[in-house]
Amino acid sequence: MAIEIPKNLDELPTTRPRYVGRGIRRVEDVGLLTGRVEFVDDVVLPRMLHCAILRSPFPHARITGVDTQAAEALEGVAAVVTGEDARRWSLPAQSSPEGWGTHCIAGDKVHYVGEPVAAVAASSRRVAEDALELIEVDYEPLEPVADPFKAMKPESPQVLDAQETNVMLDRVFTWGDVDGAFAEAAHVFQEKFRWNRLGANPTETFGCISEWDPMSLDLTIHGSIQSPGMFGLGRAATFSLPSNKVNIISHAHGGSFGGKGGTRGCDISCLLSRKVDGRPVKWIEDRGEYLLSGGGQAWDRHYEVALAVDAQGIVSGLKVGLVDDLGATGEAYGAISAAKPLAAFTGPYTIPVAQYDLKLVATNKLPCGPYRGMGPPPHFFVLEQMMDIAARSLGEDPAEFRRKNFIPADQFPYTIASGNEYDSGNYGEVLDQVLALSDYSALRAAQVEARAEGRLVGVGVANAIEPGVFDWNAYAIVGMPGTGVPEGATVNIDILGNATVRVGFSLEGQGQYTLVCQLVADYFGYEPENVRVVQLDTQSAPPSFGPGGSRLGVAITGAVLGACERIREKMARVVAVLMQSEPENIEFMDGKFTLKGAPGAEMTVAEVAGTMLARSDLLPPDIDPRPEATHVWTAAGRTPADEEGRAKSYLTAAHAVHIVQVEIDPETGMVEIQRYCLADDCGTRLNPDTVEGQTEGSVVQGIGAALLEEYVYDEDAQPLTTSFMDYLMPTVFDAPKLEMVAVETPSPFTPLGAKGCGEGAIHTTPAAVMCAINDALAPLGTSAREVPAAPMRLWKLIKEARERASDENNNY
Amino acid sequence: MKSAPFEYVAPSTISGVLEILGQNDPDEVKLMAGGQSLMPLLNMRLSRPALVLDLGRVADLDFIRETDQGVVIGAMTTKRAVEDSELILREHPLFWESTVAIGHPPIRNRGTVGGSMAQADPASEYPAVALVLEAELVAVSARGERTIPADDFFVTYLTTCLEPDEVLTEIRIPRLAPRTGWAFQEVARRHGDFAIVGATATLGLEAGVAVEPRIAVFGAGDRALRFPSAESLLAGQPATDEVIDEVAAQVAAAVEDPLDDAHASADYRRHLAGVLVGRVLREAAVRAAEASTGA
Repeated sequence: MAIEIPKNLDELPTTRPRYVGRGIRRVEDVGLLTGRVEFVDDVVLPRMLHCAILRSPFPHARITGVDTQAAEALEGVAAVVTGEDARRWSLPAQSSPEGWGTHCIAGDKVHYVGEPVAAVAASSRRVAEDALELIEVDYEPLEPVADPFKAMKPESPQVLDAQETNVMLDRVFTWGDVDGAFAEAAHVFQEKFRWNRLGANPTETFGCISEWDPMSLDLTIHGSIQSPGMFGLGRAATFSLPSNKVNIISHAHGGSFGGKGGTRGCDISCLLSRKVDGRPVKWIEDRGEYLLSGGGQAWDRHYEVALAVDAQGIVSGLKVGLVDDLGATGEAYGAISAAKPLAAFTGPYTIPVAQYDLKLVATNKLPCGPYRGMGPPPHFFVLEQMMDIAARSLGEDPAEFRRKNFIPADQFPYTIASGNEYDSGNYGEVLDQVLALSDYSALRAAQVEARAEGRLVGVGVANAIEPGVFDWNAYAIVGMPGTGVPEGATVNIDILGNATVRVGFSLEGQGQYTLVCQLVADYFGYEPENVRVVQLDTQSAPPSFGPGGSRLGVAITGAVLGACERIREKMARVVAVLMQSEPENIEFMDGKFTLKGAPGAEMTVAEVAGTMLARSDLLPPDIDPRPEATHVWTAAGRTPADEEGRAKSYLTAAHAVHIVQVEIDPETGMVEIQRYCLADDCGTRLNPDTVEGQTEGSVVQGIGAALLEEYVYDEDAQPLTTSFMDYLMPTVFDAPKLEMVAVETPSPFTPLGAKGCGEGAIHTTPAAVMCAINDALAPLGTSAREVPAAPMRLWKLIKEARERASDENNNY
Repeated sequence: MKSAPFEYVAPSTISGVLEILGQNDPDEVKLMAGGQSLMPLLNMRLSRPALVLDLGRVADLDFIRETDQGVVIGAMTTKRAVEDSELILREHPLFWESTVAIGHPPIRNRGTVGGSMAQADPASEYPAVALVLEAELVAVSARGERTIPADDFFVTYLTTCLEPDEVLTEIRIPRLAPRTGWAFQEVARRHGDFAIVGATATLGLEAGVAVEPRIAVFGAGDRALRFPSAESLLAGQPATDEVIDEVAAQVAAAVEDPLDDAHASADYRRHLAGVLVGRVLREAAVRAAEASTGA
């Protein structure tokens, strides 16, 4: 029987939702914030050993010998593994573009500083680290390459021996008559941009405990894992194991933001476990390892962009050239960051044709991994700077220039040039809301006054699309295997009527357990306290991807409501028998089954469940007496990618406009954010508090991107930012007071009309802050084209602009 | 990130500390105050002492006292205690202001005044403030006690004139002349970070003329730097914008070999030194003027 999942709040079987759509106190926060939940480092297993990893100090070197004898002899050391063990028992990573993956421990050659060359399992982490100092590795340094433009040249050092070039991908994707649009354009604007490498920094780094039984070959991994299902498949592929031999037990964890790839360390702990006959081996990545060699570096990009604009100021074409420096291997799916922009290539605009000249390049730096937003944030940074360049050149207000290029509200669903379909939107309304919230005209008036005093005050108006609910078809152009959208949940009502929901993802802090409680409570007329959420391991759970690609809120809503619907349908059959009627005469509302036309005849969900589980004598003969159902939700209507990568991929398109006011100290280059206003539209807000929390966190990460965060490598590919002394995360002092307003344009395609919103503001914030900075710099005739806008960079721009101006004055 | 093996002792008296230093090769011993710099160095195995001597239990090093000459602060006094001290706020608001610019409360809860002085990080706030306040640092060893002017104490990167067998015990800050203006400013990427560059100054004003100006800069060179020639240039001059700009330019020019790293080039640091010296002199002059008009 087809299951009808409520498309909006009115379709829930309740007179008025009491929980969904409201900001209720989150059930998971206390455990996470007090540390009472079990994090992986809390887990102690019998006979457990501890792993430490020896890492390459060279960015590029031949390994001519590894002597582990002294380390093996140290008291407390159980085993040492090297590249030889990795080659014997594992395959190269399959999370890179094909042919670019390497083994988890280097063999003949190291490709970046921090690459594992050996590892130890010992009685404690301290002993294991002592043992690392006794391992002798002979290196023959090779010339490194740190610059992707050098790496693309034929004479460049070759990063991977197995390849003949450092170019992983070099393709131009063309969507429509781009040359024609540029030939006919009234104005063409071109600019280069640099987005420096940065990335996720969760409170808790990656950690795992691996047990690989050499007899049964069962591999069990406890870990702080963002996507346990996919992680398990990856391990099965890496170790050539049947997928049902690998069980992943993911623990509650302290954030991820995409930075919990962790596969190398995990694979190494697996190899060690196998070497010690299946004893559990714990590896906790420390912060030094995370910053030097973890899964948290992303988006090392060089852009060259062109915008075609017609005589009416309508953008008629977009060309984006991207040289994406993926580091040595682009493993852990870092490469898909370059593909995801296809899901929203032209942003909120009607730009009819576009081109993407994409080069994925290997260098001797840490492989890039995923980060919140997965690629579009830099893309929107460059698109929005181009919109400002055009508006400024044409003498138009940046807000109004954007407005006239918006996709009109009556055009949805709308298919963009790069193939994806946007579900819904009302961009003009979102813009209006934030213009009003910020008192935009007053901001501009204040700016005029400030400029008259010689102060560098700027106002940025920027917007972006957040693609939500990913599907793997979005990444077809980089050609890596992966799993996509299905997400399942099992809802069970016990004999006393309490509900337990079993899911396949772990607590990460985004509030999805609360969402599950809200949904079940409103569906069955319960209180959230009657609902318990339990996470299962990957061999027990229904299909699950977990959080990622701004999907889980929507997907788990579909799964839970689908399962509730199935239970309701089954219960209605039972109630029909008890009330001596037919199921179609049984109605369900506010937690009660009633008989049409028979007032007073009613049963609660708990009564039905109790009857089903206790009163065989009352049940219809053909009924499965368990008040339980599983539903696996997936996005409908997705399409395979065509030759040019075009597909219906991400199901939802959220939209936000941010308005930021900054002042730059011209003598120091320091930027102060004075106002930060935003309006956003992510459809139905299932829990507005959670959306706000996601937005706040994401704005702060966006500010980090715009002003602070940068992994710096020197020209020899040596990393210079290897601790939090040098890698600058924003702190509470860097977080502005946010003024926020919401617009709700429900999605016609999703359960309850919700859209993906978890990645959120980082799509817009870097663009908005940089637009504000460039607005402040505009009177000087200069602009910042590189993020982060570090004070030294801005100071230099200001100084050079003033020197130019004074030279010109002298020439007159 | 676990330290290499080391022995650990935590004596409760200064004589106990000196005894242990006498029994061991002092080069193999690392004194630990608040541990805010040392612990990361140990855990990253960048520092590998045979013995860590924890000063945390030495009772008579944690105090703030007023004397006839000024204020004396025990070397093991935490920054938090300084922050909470009404005496410091009243007598040495400059010292107080520089204290709250250091790190964040959890760091100030453990980090100590003596620890920062002895660590002598070139970007640290305290050494520069010690220079302009003309503090004296008291060290003891088995050979006796000596009093070292701040000017002589800081030698170069992470290096003081303390001998390996010496222990810093207290910091003496003389009372400021009445109606002295002061200021402290730094440019840091984030609140609480080590400064890229910072500057501090004290200044008296008599009929608009600068008296006994003192200027120090941190984060620019290999140690906190004082600028006697710039001070002489200012002394006796009216504290006008023009004069201050000239003094600031001289400071910028006088910084030798500015630090150069991923966050700030040598050029930028030199420039900031000038900008910040200009700003602190202006601010100090305003304070001095307010003090002399009794505002």
